[in-house]
Amino acid sequence: MTSLQLFFQQLANGLTLGAIYALIALGYTMVYGVIQLINFAHGEVFMVGAYGALSVILLCTAAHLPWPVVLLAAALGALLLCGGLGGVIERIAYRPIRRAPRLNALITAIGMSFFLQNALMLCYGATDRQFPSLIPSVRWDVGGLSFTGMQLLIWGSSAVLMAFLQVLVMSTKLGKAMRATSQDPVACALLGIPVDRIIAITFVIGSALGAIGGLLFGLYYGTINFHDGYLMGMKAFTAAVLGGIGNIPGAMIGGLVLGMLEGLGAGYLSSQWKNVFAFVALVALLLFKPTGLLAERVAERA
Amino acid sequence: MRGVGQGTWGEGLRYFLYPLSLAPFPLPLIVCFGLLVGLVGCGGRSEPTVKIGFVAPLTGDQAPQGEDMFHGALLAVEQAQADGEILPGYRLELVVLDDQRNPTQAVSAAKKLVADPDIVAMVGHLNSSCTMPASAIYHQARLLQVSPVSSNPQISRQGFDTFYRTCATDDLQGPAAARFIVQDLKAQKVFVLDDMTTYGRGLANELIRALNALGAEVLGHEGITQADKEFTPILTKIKSLNPDLVYFAGMFPEGALLIKQRQDVGLGGYFMGGDGLFDVALIDLSGSQAAEGVYLSTIGSDIYRVSTARAFVQAYEARFGPVGAYSAYAYEATNIAIWAIRKAGKPDRAAVLAAMKTLKDYPGLFGPQNFDEKGDSLIRDIGIFTVRSGRFSFVKIATQD
Repeated sequence: MTSLQLFFQQLANGLTLGAIYALIALGYTMVYGVIQLINFAHGEVFMVGAYGALSVILLCTAAHLPWPVVLLAAALGALLLCGGLGGVIERIAYRPIRRAPRLNALITAIGMSFFLQNALMLCYGATDRQFPSLIPSVRWDVGGLSFTGMQLLIWGSSAVLMAFLQVLVMSTKLGKAMRATSQDPVACALLGIPVDRIIAITFVIGSALGAIGGLLFGLYYGTINFHDGYLMGMKAFTAAVLGGIGNIPGAMIGGLVLGMLEGLGAGYLSSQWKNVFAFVALVALLLFKPTGLLAERVAERA
Repeated sequence: MRGVGQGTWGEGLRYFLYPLSLAPFPLPLIVCFGLLVGLVGCGGRSEPTVKIGFVAPLTGDQAPQGEDMFHGALLAVEQAQADGEILPGYRLELVVLDDQRNPTQAVSAAKKLVADPDIVAMVGHLNSSCTMPASAIYHQARLLQVSPVSSNPQISRQGFDTFYRTCATDDLQGPAAARFIVQDLKAQKVFVLDDMTTYGRGLANELIRALNALGAEVLGHEGITQADKEFTPILTKIKSLNPDLVYFAGMFPEGALLIKQRQDVGLGGYFMGGDGLFDVALIDLSGSQAAEGVYLSTIGSDIYRVSTARAFVQAYEARFGPVGAYSAYAYEATNIAIWAIRKAGKPDRAAVLAAMKTLKDYPGLFGPQNFDEKGDSLIRDIGIFTVRSGRFSFVKIATQD
């Protein structure tokens, strides 16, 4: 393995984790975009997605269905579960205090995170759960680099989802309403845009993306634990900030960049300093560009 | 007026929500603490009790091993209860706490145990990083601690006369593994990983020292973080160095992922680890195919091959199923604590400690059990296992001599 091959292999490794970060980061950044709230419960929503997918997979494999069907069913199950959960969280936890000081919503988010984490632990137990390896394990060696089927699935599905989201936000009426709401909800309400519904839909879509992230996370690592959502949520939040919070392409790029930084840091410096390397890069970037890589909006709304 | 009204409502709501303010603490801990309080309550009223404390990770990623230990300790206590009173007029009780393999939780569990005067001995913890700080608390409270499996050699070198352990230590395990690597597997180039805990780093350092002495080449030594899941970057780096063997000094949750991802990145050669990998969950979590041919060392011989342990194995399997990696050590440690309480003849920590010092040729699971002046067991077998057809299979005893 030449040093160039090694470099590209490490880049590919980082890209895999980065794609999952990006999927979760989208949830943070979309919610921040519309109501300027860091939804700390999002990491747990992601974990609910992973456990929901696991439940569906266990049910379906008991019924001896072929694996592509099981995979689709798991994705659909997780999507519906988390989308619904996101909507419910918005309705019962955040909407009643939307006009309260912003700190109240932040603390509510942290409380929701604890609640979901403990609920998961009570439902599924505190030990690691094995995630069945649905995808037949295949490995290709191309030009000295090796790729697994799982990696391709992660790259492919996150690319499709991100493209879908981009189209949704930029070229549909709903997307236009979301962008308008993020700019000025009061004016939107005056113009007859159902702001509450738009905000709820934003939560639903963000959570559903997190759910797919959870499914991919479970399939890729093969084990899930109720507190995995905490660290993944923190990393994805970091990715969202890196890309410029509130900016959708920023979250995608931030996730990929963070994953690659971690991969290269672990591969070239030292795996024990992996997280330090990623966060030093974040601090350095924010020193020179406080808005993150892509953020367009700096001024805080009154 | 509105302000006052809000205040009252706020007050009311705060009282109503008060129990929820425990939310930052993991629920199992609260449950365990409740259990402890419950046990204290029940025991205290009906008849005098003498208690043995037990701490291990009962929730979190290492809970399977902690549960194996708990079952061992529970079996010992149940058998002692069935034999009748261990002290005249006293009922024996096991007080169970969870440390989640977290040193901070271990210290708070230790403080809870020493605060209960009925507790005259304790069995635990699992992880050396937990046993290390907790042992100082037990020492200060003059409470006998019998650690089943914490194998870091530094623990007994603190000079605490309250500390005993029933397993072999890592200054034996490391060299034994190194000899197996060099002499049996004929591996010359080794890359060493550890999980940066007291146990992992300690074992890795002992192994590297022994490998260097045997003339093998250590290509590198790196740490990974516990609870991390992404190891492909470090494994890709290791692959580019092309070692004969990768050694991981750590626990099975990370070990399973390393084994699984090792296959993903196409890293060949041998993979070996320490006793922390010895749990069936290692094979399940890594996918049985990837774990085939993995070697590991253990801090004792194969319990299924020891003739003196046959009755224990039968009783354990009848009650809990297959014997876990650490079940036997917890059983042995609990039995030794019970022996010391019996010998002391009264529920008094100082008397129990004094009785423990007189222990000689205790008829234990692995043969006559004795302890050296540091409290370490003189039974120093290191076993070597490998994974074959999805199961751990015994290879040999790699003893010091």
